[in-house]
Amino acid sequence: MKKNTIKLILIITPALFASFPTLANVSGGDWKPQIVEKMFVLPPQHLNKVLNNDFKTSVLASNLRVTDNKIKSKIDKINELNSFLPNASKDETLEIKHQIILNKRDYIKDMNNLIIMKRQKLQTKKAFFEKIKNNIKYTNKNRVNQSAFLNNKSKALERAQKLDLKIIEKTSLNINEKSKYFKQYETNKNAIEKLKIAIKNHPMNEKSVLSNNSDNKLEAISNYIYNIETEIAVLEMKEQMMSYMAKIVALDAMNLAENVSGINQKLDGSFPSGENYNDPENVIDIFTKL
Amino acid sequence: MYKSIVKLTLLISFVASSYANASPIGPLERERARTLNLILDKTISIAERKKKLEKLKMKLLDLERMTINNKQINKNPDTHTIRAFEDFDLTFLVHNSFEKNKPLSVTWFEKMGLTTDNIMNTRVSRR
Repeated sequence: MKKNTIKLILIITPALFASFPTLANVSGGDWKPQIVEKMFVLPPQHLNKVLNNDFKTSVLASNLRVTDNKIKSKIDKINELNSFLPNASKDETLEIKHQIILNKRDYIKDMNNLIIMKRQKLQTKKAFFEKIKNNIKYTNKNRVNQSAFLNNKSKALERAQKLDLKIIEKTSLNINEKSKYFKQYETNKNAIEKLKIAIKNHPMNEKSVLSNNSDNKLEAISNYIYNIETEIAVLEMKEQMMSYMAKIVALDAMNLAENVSGINQKLDGSFPSGENYNDPENVIDIFTKL
Repeated sequence: MYKSIVKLTLLISFVASSYANASPIGPLERERARTLNLILDKTISIAERKKKLEKLKMKLLDLERMTINNKQINKNPDTHTIRAFEDFDLTFLVHNSFEKNKPLSVTWFEKMGLTTDNIMNTRVSRR
């Protein structure tokens, strides 16, 4: 019995862990930045470019493009239908107005989808930058804790580097004793020095010096997060706009429906005088006419 | 059968944890100990010691360079590593000897306070 329980636990436990990525896939949406941890060291502006490029290849981006095109075509169609209105007959006008309302409805639907997708994109981006921000904060915290050790280590490195040339001179005679590492170390050190000089003289270096500093990087990333938050706030306003647009389309549809049925009801629910035949007062003439 | 699986699991986890806990400066410390052993070895001739020491010195130099340039030890350094970097002169003996332009053994003796003057003074105080 006990063995069976253990077996059952052994079967269930990995299954539980395996279910987490599946859940994440469902809630994560259609864009998951495929950026390796090593890219986190990049300056924020480059990181943003890498992130944007990553987004372009995602399913979410292609869906956004498709919806964007659909919206454009809907607007074109509405404009085209509107241009037919002045020369249309009464029946044609009704049909055109009906088509306009249908296109407006589709436009609102697509626009709503677009806003949802844009929001998803921004939220993924925000989560990504927040992860980096937390990483930097964690690294900075560790750095403070280890500062004494790191200080000693950097001093050791500095002292060792100063001695490199002297060591080469002093060990020039014992060629047989030199290991493969020793030879490789010399070659690589020279190459590293050349690369360091190239980096120092690179025109982009000055720009990245500012952003490579962890404090500056943190600030830059905070700025990105702030910008994303403002974009999300703008989207929220657009959502509100869409709800008003939907209301107008609904009112247009109601108006059209009333026109089709030939009933012109006023906003307060009353009918224009002489046309409301549901009130006996208005039909007295019909009844009193001989 | 069940017991043997448990034993095997414990053995594997023990081996894995011992590898994970190995100090990154372990090889350097071992080589340094071998070098100091050689310096203090009275059973070999001066010429033999010099020859062996020259070989060990180059190996120790490689290990010192590897340790100094190892960026992995920056993350969560253990107490041995922290202690080792607190005393550069004693940990990185070959670098220290190059810096001071003195033989390796002399650098170590001096660092330990075993200078000729100190030893002579000890003899004077005993009388």
